[in-house]
Amino acid sequence: MTNSELLRALLIVLLASVTTIGLRAFPFIAFGGRKETPRLIRYLGSVISPAAIAMLCIYCLFSHWKSYFCLWGGAEIAAGAVVVGLQLWKRNPLLSIIAGTVVYMVLVQNF
Amino acid sequence: MKKKNWQRAFKDTLPVMMGYLAMGAAAGIVLAGTLPRLPATPLWGSVSSALSISGALQFLMVGWIKEGITLTDVVLLTVFLNLRYAMYGFSLIERFEGIPRWKKWYLIWTLTDETYALECADKRSGKEESVDYCMKVGFLDHCYWISGVTLGTLAGGALPFNCKGIDFAMTALFLVILTDQMREKFNRLPAVTGFAAALLARIFFPVDKMLIPAMGVMTLVFLLARRKFEAQKEKES
Repeated sequence: MTNSELLRALLIVLLASVTTIGLRAFPFIAFGGRKETPRLIRYLGSVISPAAIAMLCIYCLFSHWKSYFCLWGGAEIAAGAVVVGLQLWKRNPLLSIIAGTVVYMVLVQNF
Repeated sequence: MKKKNWQRAFKDTLPVMMGYLAMGAAAGIVLAGTLPRLPATPLWGSVSSALSISGALQFLMVGWIKEGITLTDVVLLTVFLNLRYAMYGFSLIERFEGIPRWKKWYLIWTLTDETYALECADKRSGKEESVDYCMKVGFLDHCYWISGVTLGTLAGGALPFNCKGIDFAMTALFLVILTDQMREKFNRLPAVTGFAAALLARIFFPVDKMLIPAMGVMTLVFLLARRKFEAQKEKES
């Protein structure tokens, strides 16, 4: 790699990183520092948190399905059900996660 | 108290460790395989992962470096890919208010999907203790990600066992957090809205482009039906 190519690669990494950090900082810069957080922001913060987690679950399940395409989505449904079921029953996060992941790995590696 | 927070943070981030090590290693392997002419690949991997700590971006950057891309496009694509981060902070503003500046910036820097999820799930009454816990979660997740990518560049494809599918650990973490959130009645309606928005977005967009429309739809619903959600919350909390 020539020096200019290397410099360019470095610039790409730096720009992408700074943009990402800027996005993460946006709410704090735009709405932080006030004596009181605006009510609308407090409201949005409280409803967006469970909604975003629900969205990420759907997103992750679909992207697993897309990258492994195993049993027409059956692997994701089965492993997901193991995780949710165990968590409802035993309330032990590590147990639920390990069990679900093992089930998923067995399924995608064998079917 | 501080030591207890380390223990708790470590225990809570174990699934993130599995996910980040696996996904980071995959990104590292891709980096080493795609850019063989890049000098000091492991160093490159650790620096780039330390700076951005963003999964999909780590993969994309490799392609950008290889194929050449305008710097404007780097910014635009990063914004589209990671726009959701701009929403996460809203629920953390109050908690991170008035803490030392370096702590706040470190918390912002390390605010990934998984770190955010764990921080949301943390229901501490004491602010100081909660911030301390969040710092530790952010730091550990940061370390896992850097280690994953660096190990991946070192291994370059020769892994000792078949870890296909191990990245499900991160999905499982999200599911666990969601399950626990559902025990609180007032979280249910917002979560159902999130589900519906995500499914709707998935119908009209491919998986890798669904997050922004989904967030747009849910924000719109939350703004339009604010009274209903607030009344619901009042009733059930």
